[in-house]
Amino acid sequence: MRTRHLIGLVPIALYLSAYTLAPVLSTFWLSVTGSAGGLTLEHFRQIGGHYQFGEAVLNTLGITGLSLALELGVGLAAALALATRPRGRAAFQVLLLIPLGVPTIVAAAVMRTIFGTVGYLNEVLFRLRLIEIPVDWVGDRLLALGAVAAADAWKVTPLVLLILLAGLEAIPADLYEAARTDGASRWRQFTAITLPLLKPALSMAVIVRGVDAFRIFALPLALAGHGLPVLSTYAYTEYLEYGNPHTAAASSVVLLVMILVAVGVYLRLAGPEEVLR
Amino acid sequence: MTRPGLARTLALGLLTAAALGAIGPLYLLAKVSLSPPAEVMTAHPTLLPHGLTLDHWRRLLASGQVAAPLAKSLTAASLVALAALALAAPAAYSLSRLPARWRYGILLGLFACRMLPEVSIALPVAVIFLRWGLLDTVTGLVLSHLTLVLPVAAWVLTTTFLTIPRELEEAAALDGCSAWQTLWRVTLRLAVPGLVVAGLLAWLFSWEEFVLATYLTLGAKTMPLQVYYYLYQGNWFLTSVSATLMMVPVLGLTGLLQRHLQGTSLVGAIR
Repeated sequence: MRTRHLIGLVPIALYLSAYTLAPVLSTFWLSVTGSAGGLTLEHFRQIGGHYQFGEAVLNTLGITGLSLALELGVGLAAALALATRPRGRAAFQVLLLIPLGVPTIVAAAVMRTIFGTVGYLNEVLFRLRLIEIPVDWVGDRLLALGAVAAADAWKVTPLVLLILLAGLEAIPADLYEAARTDGASRWRQFTAITLPLLKPALSMAVIVRGVDAFRIFALPLALAGHGLPVLSTYAYTEYLEYGNPHTAAASSVVLLVMILVAVGVYLRLAGPEEVLR
Repeated sequence: MTRPGLARTLALGLLTAAALGAIGPLYLLAKVSLSPPAEVMTAHPTLLPHGLTLDHWRRLLASGQVAAPLAKSLTAASLVALAALALAAPAAYSLSRLPARWRYGILLGLFACRMLPEVSIALPVAVIFLRWGLLDTVTGLVLSHLTLVLPVAAWVLTTTFLTIPRELEEAAALDGCSAWQTLWRVTLRLAVPGLVVAGLLAWLFSWEEFVLATYLTLGAKTMPLQVYYYLYQGNWFLTSVSATLMMVPVLGLTGLLQRHLQGTSLVGAIR
């Protein structure tokens, strides 16, 4: 009975072995074999000494931190606002979810018109008399990190909103009623009921979005080009522009290890039972 | 104002601001695609449309650069959707019939595949496809896009099959249906909404995919790569027009999706 039910899994298992697992193993292999054969760590040493690589690691971490903070902040605020069931909630929900469907490259195009030197953000700030001369948003590294994180957050905060809203709706209403009867303030209800019971949803959002942010590719490439390397675009440049599959593989391996370590550390800190439910 | 009233006003204000933030950028994109250059290529671009022009749209269509990418992306996305259903539906059916512990473990494993960086998958695939002559082909694109799509499709379909009561299959068997007839006439028929959702999601994933397409393309661009090409050239108008063009099927299909998709229906598979 059980073996018969496993048959349906054979095609997908074969496919994923060939087109997902085998490539990843082959990337590992490429990263540790020398151009003349034999095992070596020279590719890791090579990228380690490369200025752009260090920049890429820092930029990847910076973008991930900034965009996670933005997405969780805005996503939680919007989810809490929707959970109060205001008038027009259904319409708001439809509008707020629209960016989620926007192709990443379209988001990049949109953000170029906004963060350009003669773009719309500068124009709005100028009209509000906040700036006199246009800001070069992608010229300065910190500003560029912020612009890429904002662009990323614009597209994916709706996903965080969906996850958190589902978490909020799952909290039983009678808990709040009991707290009100006991005279608990709104803030106390938030810290004593909402936040602890929302932890699994928050963890889910952090992991799903954090992993995606580590792998960010199109947005930094399209917004800031080579001025803002991240690990994915560094690997891409090494392979497609310098034709070196070994260093490209080595930096991909570094990215993969960073993702695994980050998820591992998070699970250790948050407690695996919070996520794996 | 009473306190609940204050909270409600705050919530409404916040949601209005967020909705403007969500929609505003798309408005600007469409506006640039329809504005005369004097309104855009200036130190002080206008926020409201003053003059409207279809020149940029005409220029994109006349350039002859967009038909081929459009055709390639449409074909690839449709084939990815069909192939994803063909591979994920049997897997999902199996998963829905397995004990919960197994199902949960296998679905988690599938999702772990989605955590791998695309660049670590794309590199060896590009090296091998170069040897096999699959670069620039729709076949190569479909083969690689399935990697990203299958875990999601399997998840959606597993939830779908779980909601189909097994009693219905048993009843069909009692009425003399063979196992295949039951599968074909009962189970798959009832799974149609889930199949639609999984297919649409797969289509949308492939339509917008950028990283793998970048690695697997030498000359025959997909739509996202064509948009990137204009963006890289710094041509705001052709960028906006081609990007707006990419939005057309997205808006249509997400409209369809929202009708089919109940947020909670995706949670059941792992319980």
